[in-house]
Amino acid sequence: MEEKTMFEFMQCISLLKATGKKAKGLRELRDRISDVSDESIFHHTYQYFLKGHILEYTNDFAQWTGESLEENALSERLSNTDLYAFKDINSLRHELIKVIDEHLDLFPEPREAMPTDEFYFNETVTFVFPVGTRARNLAEFLTAFRYLDAASIYYHFYEARMRLGGGIDDFSRWIEEVFGKKELAGRIRAIDPFMHNLEEIKKHIIEEVEEEVRKDMEVIDRCLISI
Amino acid sequence: MFDQYIGISPKSDLILLQTLGEKLHKRTFLHINSTREGGGVAEILQRMIPMLGELGIQARWEVIEGDAKFFDITKKIHNAIQGNIEDITEEMWQHHYEINKKNAGKLNLEADAVLIHDPQPVPLIEFKKTGVWLWRCHIDVSSPQEEVCDYLTRYCRKYDAAIFSVAKFARAFPIDEFIVSPSIDPVSEKNKELTRDEIGSILEKFQIVADRPIILQVSRFDRFKDPIGVIKVYRLVKKYNDCVLVLAGSPATDDPEGEKVLDEVREYAANDPDISILLLPPFSDRDINALQRSATVILQKSLREGFGLTVSEAMWKGKPVIGGAVGGIPLQIIHGVTGFLVYSVEGAAFRVRQLLNNPVMAEEMGEKAREHVRKNFLITRQMRDYLSVWYAMENKGRSILEL
Repeated sequence: MEEKTMFEFMQCISLLKATGKKAKGLRELRDRISDVSDESIFHHTYQYFLKGHILEYTNDFAQWTGESLEENALSERLSNTDLYAFKDINSLRHELIKVIDEHLDLFPEPREAMPTDEFYFNETVTFVFPVGTRARNLAEFLTAFRYLDAASIYYHFYEARMRLGGGIDDFSRWIEEVFGKKELAGRIRAIDPFMHNLEEIKKHIIEEVEEEVRKDMEVIDRCLISI
Repeated sequence: MFDQYIGISPKSDLILLQTLGEKLHKRTFLHINSTREGGGVAEILQRMIPMLGELGIQARWEVIEGDAKFFDITKKIHNAIQGNIEDITEEMWQHHYEINKKNAGKLNLEADAVLIHDPQPVPLIEFKKTGVWLWRCHIDVSSPQEEVCDYLTRYCRKYDAAIFSVAKFARAFPIDEFIVSPSIDPVSEKNKELTRDEIGSILEKFQIVADRPIILQVSRFDRFKDPIGVIKVYRLVKKYNDCVLVLAGSPATDDPEGEKVLDEVREYAANDPDISILLLPPFSDRDINALQRSATVILQKSLREGFGLTVSEAMWKGKPVIGGAVGGIPLQIIHGVTGFLVYSVEGAAFRVRQLLNNPVMAEEMGEKAREHVRKNFLITRQMRDYLSVWYAMENKGRSILEL
């Protein structure tokens, strides 16, 4: 099989950088969101999934406004932001500011966070590198997949959505393009990225691929019986 | 040595370490601190330097020398950075500088990357020759004495980058600031696996009978670790669940109040036969390991904390940990997932009872705790991050680096 049809497992690891910016209240959070780097917005939203998150929230802003400011309505709205619906970071930034502004119009005097519980804006330098494993078929893919680190699942399932757009991840794209298995690709794409942590995503993909491999093998079994 | 971590550390960390080792092959990496033995920095460097060598990097570790006056001054600087009020005169700062100047004359400071640990050797930047210079701050600088911090900042600004343990410790410096958590070594005496017999004989040595659940706190006898609060927690729990309490730690020798706190703890314990107060000498790593492995629930009920690596040590042993929500403890304990964060004696007692009454939940939480430490707080991750900082500084301005 040609190299380009193999699945090369990659992964990414992020090195955290402080921006020196912080917010102790909602207005400051809003102002900082408007002027921090794209990398910082990216880190606090898209990279949230790399942290083994708690399901109530889908980004750092939602978590902080919910837990530290106890602005639950705002937290719910921020959590409901579909990160993959924006064409670039700036569009997401404007949406976050819009949601906060609307909340401030309704509740103009939000509480401040306790000292030491301020929001610290960070960003990352991301290292992308091959895991050193390749798969030529679904069975090999399944075997390798079981031993994948969470950072690899993040790279191919979440980060890929930013690279490829259209709600597509690396796994489903490979399965569709190389094997023409549209249904399996569709089932993987149907796994909601916001509703699961990385371990659960892994489990779901294993279940889907395992089922497919089993079905493929059953066809072979029937052929053998007919002979 | 590197091979010891295969099967323990995340594969991704080991792969990235090897990849960065190839990228930085035969380059020189110099670490400088102020002590060869004692303290977490020296402990980690003892392991890290030979492992960097195995990765193909020419790593060196130098230690600055100073007189008693120098270390008295640096102790004051250390305390002031952590928020104590200290009077550091211009003459003291000058002595701090002169000792570093003398060391700069003796040490070979030429390297591709130089990592200076903590404030003692920070003025060495004035004698920079080549390479990327990084200042690693291991101390809690979230609420420092400002004038001391300002003075140190004069040096820090001259570095290429600074590294802090927690984001909230970072300062508004005009240089790059990276966040690298400290770590534990899973194969050290303090953290390696022990057999049932080994644990049993250590418990026997301390006359602890493991016939009931053991609640444990390992920490210095220091008010900020709230040992009296821990006894209060135990007494609240004891009304509902029979258990024993073990308070293990060394006296805080650099704290004049240490002896007094220990006396208060003993008095408060009031000869309760189910409370063991263990004064452990330095290098009791194996004993601490056994105590942590034999505990049912581990507390770190700190009121103020730097990073609090004892939490990761306990979590690594698959134990559910209940910790005060201060310093670096919330980074280690994800509330309700890898342990519980508490804000009061009552809160801590409630969580202990919850864990004693739900052994399945305690076990699951302990497993998640161990996995959380495996992914985030092992020495291989810290090494990976140091090399990543160096590599990122050599590729400055790029937020994605494909290797």
